[in-house]
Amino acid sequence: MVGLSSGEKHFIRGGIAQDLRSDGRQRLDYRPISVEVGIIPQANGSARVRLGATDVIASIKAELGKPNALQPDKGKVSIFVDCSPTAAPKFEGRGGEELSSELSVALQRCLLGGKSGAGAGIDLSSLTIVEGKICWDLYIDALVVSSDGNLLDALATAIKVALSNTGIPKVTVDLGTSPDDQPEVDVSEEEFLQFDTSAVPVIVTVTKVGRHYVVDATSEEESQMSSAVSASVNRHGQICGMTKRGGAGLDSSVILDMISVAKHVSEHLFSVIDSEIAAAEAAANS
Amino acid sequence: MRDLQVTLNQTQRVRLQSAIRTLQELSSTSSSSAVAATVAVADVIPVNLEDGILKGHGTSEVDGQLMATLCGVVERVNKLVYVRALRARYKPEIGDIIVGRVIEVAPKRWRLEINFTQDAVLMLSSMNLPDGIQRRRTAVDELNMRSIFEEDDVICAEVRGFQHDGSLQLQARSQKYGKLERGQLLTAPPYLVKRRKQHFHHLEDYGVDLIIGCNGFMWVGEHIETGENDMLEDQENQLEKDGNSNAKPMGSQDEEKTFTPLETRRHICRIANAVRLLSALGFTLSLEAIIDTVKLSFSSNISIKDMLAAEFYVQTAEREVQRRVSSSKKKA
Repeated sequence: MVGLSSGEKHFIRGGIAQDLRSDGRQRLDYRPISVEVGIIPQANGSARVRLGATDVIASIKAELGKPNALQPDKGKVSIFVDCSPTAAPKFEGRGGEELSSELSVALQRCLLGGKSGAGAGIDLSSLTIVEGKICWDLYIDALVVSSDGNLLDALATAIKVALSNTGIPKVTVDLGTSPDDQPEVDVSEEEFLQFDTSAVPVIVTVTKVGRHYVVDATSEEESQMSSAVSASVNRHGQICGMTKRGGAGLDSSVILDMISVAKHVSEHLFSVIDSEIAAAEAAANS
Repeated sequence: MRDLQVTLNQTQRVRLQSAIRTLQELSSTSSSSAVAATVAVADVIPVNLEDGILKGHGTSEVDGQLMATLCGVVERVNKLVYVRALRARYKPEIGDIIVGRVIEVAPKRWRLEINFTQDAVLMLSSMNLPDGIQRRRTAVDELNMRSIFEEDDVICAEVRGFQHDGSLQLQARSQKYGKLERGQLLTAPPYLVKRRKQHFHHLEDYGVDLIIGCNGFMWVGEHIETGENDMLEDQENQLEKDGNSNAKPMGSQDEEKTFTPLETRRHICRIANAVRLLSALGFTLSLEAIIDTVKLSFSSNISIKDMLAAEFYVQTAEREVQRRVSSSKKKA
């Protein structure tokens, strides 16, 4: 990211204080979101989300695997984020690893719930095939193609859209003669089950600049932030996960305030994402 | 340069495609009267080689024929034949007004990034000193270079010439050049900026300064009066501030008083969005086009952030079609 002169930083801070940001948005406005689905035909589900100049691609692959011994009735999901060097020169080689792992952990925390799988946005029990023996492993991979701030929101949106586009193949299981045998599994090529994404949350990042909060900060605005709180909110308005970034300390009342702002903004974001998914599915099918 | 991504619904897409098609037809009919012909790489340029033609940039002689090595327009000047690329990197000329960002403070010079293949150099001797006196630069001046320009500062300057290694030398001796504050920097493709007589525009109706740099960088900001005593006053204010605050960051209350007023800020954002929109559409960035777009947004009652949305995108394209049709009718 190019540096900013002190005059430009002053201008950005003034804009946020006066509720008129550099591109005319107000503090709680999102940039226009554009969504494409099914862009990777080999994957079970894929999506590309553009949020202003931020561009991310998410793909979902489902493979057969053995469930965890501690949770035999649940499938497994792993989320991995990769920051491509095309997004910023500093991501070349191993430069993007720190950011990638930070984003992966934040997404896992927000979408997968606790260690026991409780409170997950993705229903893991729907991924079992034969309890204790065979389950679906979902590999969610996300690629950051271009970065202009607010990566976490864009990634969560891309994952949500990709999940709505995901088709898990139908399996017919032949249980075999004795319960100790490995069952025969026939994976259907034709029929698919659509994934249920009604419980998948979205992430809203609220950035604090000066005394005000902005939603959907560009990378210039993020350079001016003191701290940022990302909260994942589900359709019912419940908080599913939270991450705080930035070195400045925050008073607990401020954090609660930012979470309520995130909750308020998430309602609008849900409706925007739903209409974009519908439009993208219609465009893909036509 | 980040492109604007707009999602258009079906009707908007149809309207946009018809507008672009009309523009292409208009441009092809107008340029057929001119001598220019577009060529692609390895196209043969029809020229009689016995006439002593000089082979310029973008051409090469292959098998006794003159072939183009660039995609562009063939230009002929007396005996010189060359190919001018349409979407080239910024090509500086002496006297160009440039907006650049300081990336390094080096001995007796500043290095600026100006969207060119190399960094431009602004010598300390090509810059007015804060006290305004014309004198020889001493070692003390060299040590105080950071008080004039620091890293990441946005500067407006003029191209003075080329150095022996091809890099650019700039000068900023007039009052209208110098550090730019209280505004925002915009980037656009350099081929969209044509050289004009005036690159500094003071828009009185909006109270906004617009500087269209030939290198594609543009500055939109609050209007600052350029006067002879500017430098002196700034220096005094700076000393007072330093004395009082002791290099402490400004308190939020003080800062709020110095923010740009809201009305001016609205105009700045509107003009900035007009520039972003025109560069995404690929239209030439001239003052008339920008002011036209801003006036169109006022008359259509579009809020500032909706200027970057799909509807206004298509409206601007259609307006450009109307403008070109009416101007071609006037010529005919």
